Amino acid sequence: MKTIIQAEQLCKNYDKFTAVDHISFAIEEGECFGFLGPNGAGKTTTVRMIHCVSPVSSGTLTVLDMAASIDNRTIKKNIGVIPQEINLDNDLTVRENLQVFAHFFDIPGPEAQRRIDELLKFVELEKKRDSRIEQLSTGMKRRLLIARALLNQPKIIVADEPTTGLDPQARHLIWQRLRQLKSQGVTLILTTQYMEEAQQLCDRIVIMHQGRILKAGVPTRLIADEIGREVTELRVAADQDEKLLAELGPLARGHERVGDSLYLYSDDGRPLMKKVLELDLPDTVHRPASLEDVFLKLTGRSLIE
Amino acid sequence: MTFSYRIAYVFWRNMISYKRFILTTFLASLIQPLFYLVTFGIGMGAYIGYFGGKPYLYFLVPGVLTTSVMMTASFECMYGTFVKMVHEKLYDSLIATPVSAEDAIAGDVAWGAFRGLVSGSLMMIVAIFMGILPVSPASVLLLVLLMVIVGVLFGSLAMVVTSFAPNFDFFNYYSELVITPMLFFSGVFFPLDKFPGWMKTLSQFMPLTHAVAIARAIFNGTYTRSLVFNFLVIFILETAAFLIGVKLMKKRLIK
Repeated sequence: MKTIIQAEQLCKNYDKFTAVDHISFAIEEGECFGFLGPNGAGKTTTVRMIHCVSPVSSGTLTVLDMAASIDNRTIKKNIGVIPQEINLDNDLTVRENLQVFAHFFDIPGPEAQRRIDELLKFVELEKKRDSRIEQLSTGMKRRLLIARALLNQPKIIVADEPTTGLDPQARHLIWQRLRQLKSQGVTLILTTQYMEEAQQLCDRIVIMHQGRILKAGVPTRLIADEIGREVTELRVAADQDEKLLAELGPLARGHERVGDSLYLYSDDGRPLMKKVLELDLPDTVHRPASLEDVFLKLTGRSLIE
Repeated sequence: MTFSYRIAYVFWRNMISYKRFILTTFLASLIQPLFYLVTFGIGMGAYIGYFGGKPYLYFLVPGVLTTSVMMTASFECMYGTFVKMVHEKLYDSLIATPVSAEDAIAGDVAWGAFRGLVSGSLMMIVAIFMGILPVSPASVLLLVLLMVIVGVLFGSLAMVVTSFAPNFDFFNYYSELVITPMLFFSGVFFPLDKFPGWMKTLSQFMPLTHAVAIARAIFNGTYTRSLVFNFLVIFILETAAFLIGVKLMKKRLIK
């Protein structure tokens, strides 16, 4: 595997605010790499530096063996961007939106026409080709953004929270398309705050918080290492923690208090559940561990502070 | 600064969106100057009569024509650009492509100048229908060239304003404090030579004064040596406004 993007001690500072704080990571060709984190974690700022619309403050960032810089048209030519904000051209029709973008990438007319027809089919918008943007649903707009990002046949696709504000059906359609692209060998960079999305799509992720990377790795591995296989949620007041943990603690491999809930982690939850039933606690959930647990464990406490 | 041929792509994008509201903009850019021509030209012109050997309208038309270019180019690069930048986030999507921020801004200045040219040309056509003709076909071509230059000048100045405009209301300051005074102090409706000294000096600081002087000379074929100075002022101001406008806008767009 070839490293396609590499960051070393990457920083982004605004006047009095550090958005990205000395992060290092490497993204390999053909993988789906996810940046996870709450709002303001620095995910979007990081990917904006990758696709060269935001200058690097310090550290190094190499994309396709070139230093990322806002004037690097070669990098931009090889990246497709699905932005967080829907910034389609409202004055133009669906097809015109794509035509104008094809121009920006120097794609000659007949070739552009061919790609536009193909892409409209890919995102299931053929029937909407002559519609104005305002006549599209949010899901359709998001799909058009995908088509637009693919016009230049990019080696790298940056998808910045591509499913925000979508209903489950529209979300699954987007996921399918992104997986399809990955299977064609495109390198996918995803930012998301939906853990399910990261689990569905990403080969590797980093969890970001306050501009720093808290953890990096393969999602299933992270879950196994940080949490275990199962989670028991007890909805009990915090003042009972000490008493409960004295009984249940030895049966769990870890625990976390987040808000009104006490989370107990285990690889085999049966002895733990037996004890919980014995104690006859009123409000409990026992379920498989997920990325969300990793996320809460890593960022949960500081969110409450 | 990195400019490229992609400026033309940005211009072309504006052209495609323009075709949907072309007629309304024709009306909008004609109405106000037309009022000036009718009220001042015919109403006041009846009292003034001849003006340097020709009817008053020959004095007025080049002034109103230049004003019209100024207004249209300014408003396009203020309101038009602001909407594209803040409301539509169009620039954000542009700079993620090989189009640079400089290309995008230059493309919009060129577009503002083109819109100015269209308004000015419409005025010229109306004047021709009223029987007020430029002195020769060559002067028509020179006027077209001048309108482009004036359009880029005021488009660039407007870009400077747009680069730090927090909202729409901010543009009122520029149009009330800069554009409107220029309309009355730049010799559009009457010659400046009866102004007291300080007002004459003030008018020399207004770019429109120099643009109108050149337009009037071309329209009537009355070339004088002072035009070199007028042209120099415009050239220097235009270059400065364009470079500063692009620089400030880039600073706003790239964070």
